[in-house]
Amino acid sequence: MDEALRQNLQSRKLILFSLIVAFGSVIGGVQGRCLTADEEATIWLYESVAPSVVNITTSACDPEFFFCSTPTESGSGSGIVLKEEGIIVTNRHVVANAEFIQVTLSDGRKKRGDVVASSVRDDMAIVRIDPGDSPLKPITLGNSEQLQVGEKVLAIGNPFGIGQTLSAGVVSMTGRSIRSGGLVLKDLIQTSAAINPGNSGGALVNSKGELIGMNTAILSPTGTNVGIGFAIPVNRIKSVTPGLMNRWGTWLGWLLAGLIAYWCVRRILQT
Amino acid sequence: MRTRKWSCFVFAMTVLVVGGAVNCGWSLTEDERNNIEIYERVAPGVVNISSTVLEHDFFFNIVPRQGAGSGSIIDPRGYILTNHHVIEDATKLEVTLANGKKYGAKLIGSDPDVDLAVLKIEAKRQELTIIPMGSSESLKVGQKAIAIGNPFGLGQTLTTGVISSVGRTIRSSNGALVDAIIQTDASINPGNSGGPLLDSSGKMIGITTAIFSPTGASVGIGFAIPVDTAKRVLTDLIEKGYYAYPWLGATLMTLTPDLAEALKLSVKSGAMVVETVDGGPLDRAGVKGGRSRAQIGNNIILVGGDIIVRVDGEAVSDADSVIRRIRRMRVGDRVSMEVVHWEGGTKNVTVTLGERPKDFRHRGEQPRGFPRRR
Repeated sequence: MDEALRQNLQSRKLILFSLIVAFGSVIGGVQGRCLTADEEATIWLYESVAPSVVNITTSACDPEFFFCSTPTESGSGSGIVLKEEGIIVTNRHVVANAEFIQVTLSDGRKKRGDVVASSVRDDMAIVRIDPGDSPLKPITLGNSEQLQVGEKVLAIGNPFGIGQTLSAGVVSMTGRSIRSGGLVLKDLIQTSAAINPGNSGGALVNSKGELIGMNTAILSPTGTNVGIGFAIPVNRIKSVTPGLMNRWGTWLGWLLAGLIAYWCVRRILQT
Repeated sequence: MRTRKWSCFVFAMTVLVVGGAVNCGWSLTEDERNNIEIYERVAPGVVNISSTVLEHDFFFNIVPRQGAGSGSIIDPRGYILTNHHVIEDATKLEVTLANGKKYGAKLIGSDPDVDLAVLKIEAKRQELTIIPMGSSESLKVGQKAIAIGNPFGLGQTLTTGVISSVGRTIRSSNGALVDAIIQTDASINPGNSGGPLLDSSGKMIGITTAIFSPTGASVGIGFAIPVDTAKRVLTDLIEKGYYAYPWLGATLMTLTPDLAEALKLSVKSGAMVVETVDGGPLDRAGVKGGRSRAQIGNNIILVGGDIIVRVDGEAVSDADSVIRRIRRMRVGDRVSMEVVHWEGGTKNVTVTLGERPKDFRHRGEQPRGFPRRR
């Protein structure tokens, strides 16, 4: 090939490349002026995670008032969708002593929920709802082992029962133990995202949109957010919920105990 | 050879431009630079407002009380946008610019329903930094929100957060409906009221107003009035001193399916006209209010009025949605409505919206002069 032609071709390629890069950077600059990359990411995260977070309203009844004839609205909290067929995990203190549980999905549909299992020690409860014709969107579970202090987190919940709310912050510390209402909760995630009463049972997600914790408690002299919130790590949820949902283990245990007892009684009677 | 040289030059310039954009000598993140740039650009446009209210003490002695709030300069003529509750009942208003200069301010107009007010100061054009107004229509949950204000009277303060929710409806202190409110987790404390809420391009998207707080300080739930609402009322506030609200001249009540069944009505839901003002827009259009009293549960309500089921061709299911729809219109606009009569049968009417009387009072509103929480 002719040397001059080759050089010419090469330089043209260079110009083309430069123009593409320049054009790209201008486009990027223009878009960045509307919303920063960080904002775009947060908006995308909220939109993908919000359908997996539900609002929970509980009613209790006052037995002294006409034998429970009028249940009164008593509390509000949040919940996280684990399975599309209507399995929701929340805090036990949200649904404890509740007569009637109403679950509001993020699209506004209201469903009646039933507590199928709960664990006092872990402050965790499983609520089942009938999702109707359209299945729920389960949340993606992350790994709370790999959390690092300073990592960005988003909290989604229903503070003071006002409706679905997003708040942002960072992981302040991991592995915290606190005492909450006569209960010692261990290995919690501490966060600076605003968590208030009603956020309990809501999701704490990382910047990939994976669940890393369930907002559970706050440390505060006022009872409202001061920037210190605590979440149960997702790995605990992963290890506790299968046991809570799986009742076969319990049945099998009782069956075994019954067999052993039967065998013992027979031996005693034989002797 | 010349083309080659030229292409090399273009390449070098591109590398410089792109390099400058991606890696800027600072050791600050993009987000930090964005905050700093907005603060430096917008903060001179945020003012502190101190108000003096004369109050009577127990022995009816007159006692002045000082209040503090924030405001945004929105016009080169010296107009300042703030909250109504910041300037309410004030006998003296003083505005401090970011450079420390103090001006006596005049109240131009205010509207307690949307909690907005406009003040004016006589300052030189070059001393006024105008805060550009953006739009609150296409806000997304998760985008950045920046509040600049004067919390607890401390002086100018920047707080950042994200938009926590949009489109919630709350009731203001006088019982009026404030819709499309913006909720943010940026710290908004007493004294921030009236200050701007900005997006990441430094444009005003809201006016920070009330905090939902049981403790009296920020708990991460702050509210702002959307800037689109401010734009709607601003011209009227400046020209007339008040906002001329479009008015139907009627009390509406939400007809729930339960109520409709109890009253044996043919419609399931809508806005029931409880009473109409004589000579008001709805009355003139031939819509009837309630005639007889009925007891439902523990409430006595006026029944027998027409039920509004459609406004401008779109179905409405409750009273609030009719009010929201009317709110977006202007005085003198014509609205077509479909009403269902109590006895059955529908009718299409055209209503010309009137102007709400000045002595109008919302249900449950406290009479003036009653001490209010600030």
